Amino acid sequence: MSKRGKAALTICSTAFKSLGHAQASALGKKDLPLVIMPHPFGLRKREEVRAIAEKCVDEIVKLMSKDGNQ
Amino acid sequence: MSAETFTTSNDLDAINRLYRERGWSDGLPIVPPSVERVARMLAFSSLAPHHVIARLPPGFGEATVEQVAINAVMAGCDPEYLPILIAATKAVAETSFNIQAVEATTNPAAVWLILNGPIVQKLQINASFNCLGQGAWANATLGRAMRLILQNIGGAKPGEMDRATQGQPAKYTFCCAENESLSAWDPLHVERGFKAEQSTVTVVAAEGTLNMNTHSKQSEEMLRVFAQSMIHPTSNEYCHGGEPWLVLAPEHADILKAGGLTKAQVKQRLWELSKMPARDLSVKELLRAQASRRDEYGQIGPDTMLSIARDPSDIWFIVAGGPGTHTVYVPCFGNSRAVTQLIDMTHLNQLP
Repeated sequence: MSKRGKAALTICSTAFKSLGHAQASALGKKDLPLVIMPHPFGLRKREEVRAIAEKCVDEIVKLMSKDGNQ
Repeated sequence: MSAETFTTSNDLDAINRLYRERGWSDGLPIVPPSVERVARMLAFSSLAPHHVIARLPPGFGEATVEQVAINAVMAGCDPEYLPILIAATKAVAETSFNIQAVEATTNPAAVWLILNGPIVQKLQINASFNCLGQGAWANATLGRAMRLILQNIGGAKPGEMDRATQGQPAKYTFCCAENESLSAWDPLHVERGFKAEQSTVTVVAAEGTLNMNTHSKQSEEMLRVFAQSMIHPTSNEYCHGGEPWLVLAPEHADILKAGGLTKAQVKQRLWELSKMPARDLSVKELLRAQASRRDEYGQIGPDTMLSIARDPSDIWFIVAGGPGTHTVYVPCFGNSRAVTQLIDMTHLNQLP
């Protein structure tokens, strides 16, 4: 997506952080922004997940802006 | 681009230490892929060594003929096995197989190779006693080579890009042939559109194996107990509409055939009898099923009877094994479809 000039980032949990970095690197996008959330979600209450998501939004906006792809 | 070569001592222990340190093995000792051994294997393909068969996710490494041959040597394959592995590499790279998800998932999915056609006899691929177990050189080394290709070329190393929670023993090796001479029906490759005299390899994303032992002599009863064994609420297949497989014992196949059933009728009956009420799923899995199968069912409620596959034809089976009353259920990954690929027999047909 970012190669086509579109805003792109990947959201994943801590358990998939190394996979995300390795794949981005393999695809020639070593600097692809990754937003990492704590793993797992299974035991969290809905409100906790919502709080994580809200916290995440700021980081997504920051990363998108940094990438110049707003 | 040719593979990098390096010089090392002729000491097998030292070579294996090197492979262990560099993470190039599956955890078992390897056969050193010397220039001579790789060249002997490359003689069984008309393709140039640098020919790219596919780019393999999740690492998107280029699977050249030479790279495939190197991994095949490491796994202990005979040189004449190369055409099978070239075909299998093409097959796993097909979009419908979804190798990206199969390799990077937390699910234990392993790649199962099924061989059909004249190649089975020619290379003595085991389709009989213990065909999913140890003992046959071709079965053991072909399955192992597939794993090494996925790991070393595709980059699916455990804990790195292979995220399997536990994995399963079949990730070391999983390969067999269909026992075509004991099957009451057309073999798998004919069912999938190939000619009986052609040789093929089929790749399946297999979640595991479950033995189903029944002494039943009655076809309807037999299908009922198989179907009930296939039902399990932790299955990806009910969530997504999967592609379950069976390795049918020749004795069981004979009973079903004597019951007057065609392959399509066996599939239809298994599909009907294995339906499960959606309420048996956990709440989370019910939500997953609703997300994945809404196009098929509309709104899914607790009383919806979910099928194991979207269509009866998505249930597949081969006849394999020796005498005995054991059929194997192979639950599958769910978001993957098996792919069958023709094997180039040009060089193999020149063998005595």
